Amino acid sequence: MALGFVSSPSFLVAKEEYDLAVISGEPVAATKKALEAIGGISRFVKKGQQVVLKPNMSFARTPDFSATTHPLVVVTVAQACMEAGAQQVLVIDHTLHRAELCLERTGIPEACKNIPGVHVLALQDRKFYREIKIPQGKVLERVEVIKDVLDSPVWINIPVAKSHSATGVSMGMKGLMGLIWDRESFHSKININQGIADLGTVLKPHLTILDATRALTSGGPGGPGEVKKPNLIIAGVDPIAVDSYGVSVVPWYGQNFKGRQVEHLLISHQRGLGKIDIDQLKIFKEKV
Amino acid sequence: MRTFLQALSLLFFSTLFVFATYKLPNWLPADIYLRLDPLLGLNAIFAAREIIGRALWALVTIGATVVIGRFFCAYVCPMGVSIDFLDLLFFRKKKRQGLKLEVSLRKVKYFLLIIFITAAIAGLSLAFLMDPMALLTRFYTFFIYPVVITIINLIFDLFRPLFQALGLVTLSHLHYPQPVFYMSAITFIIFGGIIALNRLVPRFWCRYLCPLGAFLSLFAPLGIFKRRVNQDCNECMKCQKSCPMGAIPEDPRGTHLPECIQCRTCVKVCPQNAITFPTSLSLGGEYSKIDFSRRGFIYSLAGGIGVGFLATQTPFTLRQSKFQLIRPPGAIPETEFLRTCIRCGECMKSCLTNTLQPCLWESGFAGLWTPKMDLRLAPCDQNCNVCGKVCPTQAIRSVTLDEKTHAKVGTAILRKEMCLVWAQNKLCLICDEICPYNAIVFRPVEGYRRPFVIASKCNGCGFCEQRCPVKGESAIVVVPDGEIRLKEGSYVKEANKLQLEFKPDPGDDKYILEESGFKIEEKKNTEGKGLPVEKPQPKKPKGFL
Repeated sequence: MALGFVSSPSFLVAKEEYDLAVISGEPVAATKKALEAIGGISRFVKKGQQVVLKPNMSFARTPDFSATTHPLVVVTVAQACMEAGAQQVLVIDHTLHRAELCLERTGIPEACKNIPGVHVLALQDRKFYREIKIPQGKVLERVEVIKDVLDSPVWINIPVAKSHSATGVSMGMKGLMGLIWDRESFHSKININQGIADLGTVLKPHLTILDATRALTSGGPGGPGEVKKPNLIIAGVDPIAVDSYGVSVVPWYGQNFKGRQVEHLLISHQRGLGKIDIDQLKIFKEKV
Repeated sequence: MRTFLQALSLLFFSTLFVFATYKLPNWLPADIYLRLDPLLGLNAIFAAREIIGRALWALVTIGATVVIGRFFCAYVCPMGVSIDFLDLLFFRKKKRQGLKLEVSLRKVKYFLLIIFITAAIAGLSLAFLMDPMALLTRFYTFFIYPVVITIINLIFDLFRPLFQALGLVTLSHLHYPQPVFYMSAITFIIFGGIIALNRLVPRFWCRYLCPLGAFLSLFAPLGIFKRRVNQDCNECMKCQKSCPMGAIPEDPRGTHLPECIQCRTCVKVCPQNAITFPTSLSLGGEYSKIDFSRRGFIYSLAGGIGVGFLATQTPFTLRQSKFQLIRPPGAIPETEFLRTCIRCGECMKSCLTNTLQPCLWESGFAGLWTPKMDLRLAPCDQNCNVCGKVCPTQAIRSVTLDEKTHAKVGTAILRKEMCLVWAQNKLCLICDEICPYNAIVFRPVEGYRRPFVIASKCNGCGFCEQRCPVKGESAIVVVPDGEIRLKEGSYVKEANKLQLEFKPDPGDDKYILEESGFKIEEKKNTEGKGLPVEKPQPKKPKGFL
């Protein structure tokens, strides 16, 4: 502690204090700065660890539709993980559209192909999933989750900011549904907002990096719809805080909302999964 | 040498088959074997009553046969290769006596050829039943392809722990989607039967049944290479016994030229080295005759017309466009489609999503094995137009992605009595979420936002039908109503003329915002009041409080 204090006092203070890093700028520079501001990737990734990154690459859409995470954001985080000494980085999603097309169109594998140790995988078979219990579940007792996420010491959620016709917005919390096998029941059997909160009690990302470089403010989750350009990267450890801030950066369907007005975020907050009121957060803001 | 060429041909056929996926480059004709098949070409041209560009490739085969002889069967035909190779595997050591009926059986293939051609003239595409190229492509599509994928996945599963231990991340996560088809079993039984017939006599299929062989044999005697036996022959009859086609008569110096496929097995087995295949322009006298009774000719002619009549003059024909059948985008109008399609299965093999499935009786005998879209099984992906690209007769037109998007295959309709939102007031909107064209909108009805289909924006891709979470039949189904089937011309123009728009339009969501009503607090509204209360319709979009 003393040593750290001597070596770089201001920096160390910074990483301990801020709940969120909100960086405005181009995808690569903003992502780098956000990682730095939240305390550096080495705060989360230790040498020799396997890291799972969970971007949204669920739709066979090119990045300009804003239905999927920007490949440059993903590759910047992946690169940082490798530089921090990660054994390997698995970029994983359970895609909604045909996997090969999603991989092709989102540009994420293409962006990552030159970094050794980074593997982009769409896991479309049940054998890659393992059932876990949800002790605090209200509508779900158990759920099948991608094994690699359960087995990795650290995983980072990298959602894109977009509207969603069922849940209002789809960001980090809604993105948890990309890690599980059966999602249809969320729409047909159980209350989707409670279901997401249930998932939140067992699937806790070590870091959430919200790609709001573009935001699909209508027509989500698959698009096409209106694409706005907030040019923001929002990073934080608290998944609700990140999403809640994300709600505030653009109008959705032409209206301004707060995090509290998004049902699944409010429920998750009420169940103790994170802070929802952004005016009570310490936020590091910068433009790069 | 022959075995090598045969293996090469089968390999080429298989490679093209593997390449027939949505990534198929435009320059690669994956259907080339089917195009080169004159029987399929002739069948489609007669049945459709017009010249089909791709079928003209068959002239190459005809030309080569006229010049060289019936070499195709021995060196090129992948069905012949399969028969020969599997023969080696299963029946090499079996003693086969030959058949007493040899002479009359040999005629069968000609009868079949006449039946098929006549049926085509009567407007029924039938050659697919027994054309070797169509048969083999079907067998590959409906049997070999799914089996191979299963085996590959089993191997991956077997080695997965090893891959994991070695840290091979990609390999340890590899899994290919399993293609599935109706009628795999039927296809297998037919192919298995053809192979099993070899137990009786080598190349039973080629000798007695293959209508393509029959067609090529008509030109075979013109070929310049002909078997010749010199005076060293001691009539040991080894060549006669070993000829896979039974093309050598009692007198081993002669050759049934139409039957000879120039495999040169006789050259190899001859102990006297008395046999050669020099070039010769003679026509071989009595041995080039195709022994074919006039009566048989008449019978098969009648048979062809009969089958053509039975299959086309039925209520099925009149109801052709009224079946609940969704054809692939770009499929020409139904009557022409049934006449032109040669049922090779190539479109179903290459289909990205596996939605294309073979018909059994859905549109009568005339529609056997034709492709239909099974949208409950899988949707049609808007980034793929491969089915037209690989269609050897262009029964499905090869069109650009934009044109294909406008080739509307049908329209989704909501069955409200089954829909979770309409019937049970549940919060489901999967159809809206997945629709690539924003053709589904939610409008407030009785206090709930409920889905509607905007028919003019729906091109029938079927994502909604496939994803609908209702068990059993989907609550939203695509029906052929509104399909655009053009023989020629632009689908885009036609769609514009009909004022259809398959472009995603964000404007729809503004509409939702203005009129949406989602979160109704039901209890509050109905509490303590005897009369039903008009429910308020909040202005916020779904998911927001």
